[in-house]
Amino acid sequence: MTKATPTPQTILLVEDEAGLANEIKIELERLGYLVRMASIAEAADAARVGDPAMMIMDRLVFGEDSLETLEVLRNEGVKVPVLMISALSSIDERIRGLKAGGDDYLSKPFAMAELAARVEALLRRLDDMRTTKLHAGDLEMDLIEQKVHRGGTRIDLLPREFKLLEYFLRHPGQVITRAMLLKDVWHYHFSLETNVVDVHISNLRKKIDIRGGSSLIVNIRGAGFMLNENA
Amino acid sequence: MKMLEFFRSSAVRVAIAFVFATTVATTGIFGLVYLQIKATDQRSNRLILEDEAAKSVNQSVDELKYAFEVRLTHGLRRLDYAALYSADRKVMFGNIDELPEIPLDGKSHFVAASPVPGGVNRMEPAIFVARTRPDGTILLLGRSLLETLAFRRIVLGALATGLAPMLLLALAIGAFFARRASRRLTTIHDTIARIMKGDMNLRLPVRSQHDAIDKISRDVNLMLDEIMRLLVQIKGVSDNIAHDLRSPLAVVRAQLERGLESSDDEQLRSVARQALAHIDKAMLTVAALLRLADVEYGPKSSKFQTIDLSAICADLFEFFEPLATSKSINMALEIQSPVQSLGDGDLMREAVSNLIGNAIKFTPEGGSVRVSVTQEDGNPVVRVRDNGIGVEAAERDKIFQRFYRTASGHRVPGSGLGLSIAAAIANLHDFDLRFDDNHPGALFEMAGRRK
Repeated sequence: MTKATPTPQTILLVEDEAGLANEIKIELERLGYLVRMASIAEAADAARVGDPAMMIMDRLVFGEDSLETLEVLRNEGVKVPVLMISALSSIDERIRGLKAGGDDYLSKPFAMAELAARVEALLRRLDDMRTTKLHAGDLEMDLIEQKVHRGGTRIDLLPREFKLLEYFLRHPGQVITRAMLLKDVWHYHFSLETNVVDVHISNLRKKIDIRGGSSLIVNIRGAGFMLNENA
Repeated sequence: MKMLEFFRSSAVRVAIAFVFATTVATTGIFGLVYLQIKATDQRSNRLILEDEAAKSVNQSVDELKYAFEVRLTHGLRRLDYAALYSADRKVMFGNIDELPEIPLDGKSHFVAASPVPGGVNRMEPAIFVARTRPDGTILLLGRSLLETLAFRRIVLGALATGLAPMLLLALAIGAFFARRASRRLTTIHDTIARIMKGDMNLRLPVRSQHDAIDKISRDVNLMLDEIMRLLVQIKGVSDNIAHDLRSPLAVVRAQLERGLESSDDEQLRSVARQALAHIDKAMLTVAALLRLADVEYGPKSSKFQTIDLSAICADLFEFFEPLATSKSINMALEIQSPVQSLGDGDLMREAVSNLIGNAIKFTPEGGSVRVSVTQEDGNPVVRVRDNGIGVEAAERDKIFQRFYRTASGHRVPGSGLGLSIAAAIANLHDFDLRFDDNHPGALFEMAGRRK
C-alpha cells in the first residue's frame, strides 16, 4: 500500500485529540503524504492560498464546530477536498457535513485503512468524468454502449455489476473499502452486518476473470479491495 | 379516533343534560308560582266566605235576601253562590236549590262538582260554607273555582308556549358549549397525537380563561417540558458516549493496527488481531445503539417524502440475492408496483435490509426467503418470510427488545439490535412491525397502520 509519490502531497489535519491525530499522522506519512497539524483558523488560511492538497477536519475541535469555517471557505470559492471525521455519526449530521461542503464523512472510530482509502479517493477525484472508455489491462468498458470486453470477448454484466466494475475502473490502484462501495455503488447509508458486498465482488470476478489467471480485483486484507491492473 | 367519538358523544350528553335541567327548572318555577297563587287565592276565598257567613248569621231573613240579590247580581265580594234553606233543608231563596253535602260548621269545604246556578246542566268545582242560623235556617255561601281552573290553564298555556323557545334556546346554548368543549378537546387530542408522533416541541393550547381544561392543558404542557428536558439530557448523554467512547476507541484501534503492522512477533500479532476484532464488535454495538437513539429521537416525520416501497424492496432484493444464492437459498420477490408511502427512503431501506439480512442469516442452506410488497386495503405491507429456524413461541415477545438474541441465534454474529432498529424505523413511519410463524420459519410483516 505504500506509495511512491514523487513530490509528497500535503494534508492538513485539524484534530484536537492528540492520540488520534498522532496515529493518523503516522499512518498517512507511512503512505507517503506530508501531514501538518493545524488549528481551524490556520487550516482556513492555508486553504485560501491553495497550500494543502486536502484537509482532514474533525467536526468538533476545541469545542468549535469546524463546519462553520468550512462553509465560509466554500462560499469564498475554496475548492480543496475536505474529509470530515467525527464522533457524530447520525445521518442528519452526515448530511449537514456534506452540505456544508465536506467531500466525504467518516465517523469514529474508523479503520486506518478506511481513512487511507478515503484520502486517496479524494486526492484522485479530479479524474476526467467525461471519458467514454475505461481500461484495465485487456479489459475495456464502453460507457456509452454499456458494454464490457476482455481480450475481444464480450462479457455480459448485470446493471449493478456494471456499476461496480465501473467504480473499480475509475479508481485504479486505490484501496476500495466495503463502506465506499455501499455508499457509492448502492447508495446505502447504513452499515451491514453481513458480507453481501464480498459476494457481489466474488460474482463479478467470476465473470471478468480469466480462468487460471490472477484476479482483476484483489482483496486487501483488513481494508477492502483494489483493482489489479496487471492481471 | 375512538377517544374523539367519546368526547363528541359526551358533549352531546352534556347538551341534553343541560336542556333537561332547564326544562325541570322552568317547569318547577312555573309550578311553584302557580301553587303559590292558587293557595293564596283559595285562602282568601275561604276567609271571605267564612267571614261573610259569620256576619250573615245574625241578619234577618229579609236583609239576607236583599243582600244576596245585590251581591249575586253585582258580584260583590266575589260570591257566586248564596242560598238560605229551611231547617228541613228546603231552599227558601238563593241560586242553588240543593244544599251540598257538607257539615254546617261555618267552615269552607271543597265540592268537586256542584250544579251551576241558572238551571244549565253544568257542574263545576266550588267551595262552600254552610252554617245554621239561630232560627234554624241554614245559610249557604259559595264560590266557584272556575276562575282558578282558568288560571291553571293560563299558567299551563304560558308554560307550554314559553317552554318551547326556552328549550330551543337551551339546546342551542348547550350545543354551543358542547361544541366548543369538544372542539377544544379535539384540538388537544390532535395536538397530543402529533406530539406522540415526535413533534415534541408542540404544546397544548392554553387560553386566558382559567377553566378545568386550561388547568389540565397547562399541567400536560409542564409535563411535556419535563419530558423534553429529560430527552435532551438523554440525547446529551448519548452524544457524550459517542464522543467520549468513540474517540479513545479510535485511538486504540489505530495503535493496535500499527502494532499489528510493525511487529513480527506472531503471538503479539494474534493478540492484537483478537483485540481489534473485539473493538470492532464493541463499536458495532455502540454504533447500533446510537443509531437506535438517532431513529427514536432524531428525524421528524415532517421531512418525509413519497417513497416507492416496491422499488426499495426490488433494489434490496437484487442486492441480497447473490448472498442467498451463495448459501443455496432460493429467494423470491413478489411486488405490486408501485406501492407508495410517506417516509424516509434511506431509513425504510435500512429497516427492510435488516429483515432480509436476518432471514438469510437464519435460514439454512437449501431454504427459501420470500419478499413481498403489497397494498392491502390502501395500506402498504412488506412481508419477509423464510423457512429457517424461526422463533420459539416463548421468545416471540422478546425479539424486538434491545440486545435480545434468541437461544438459537446466539451463535450468529450481530449486535442484537437489528430488529429493534427496524421496529423503531417502522414506528417512526406509522408502520407496525410484527412477527408471525411461517410454519416453519419466520414471517416479519411491516404494515402501515390503519387510519
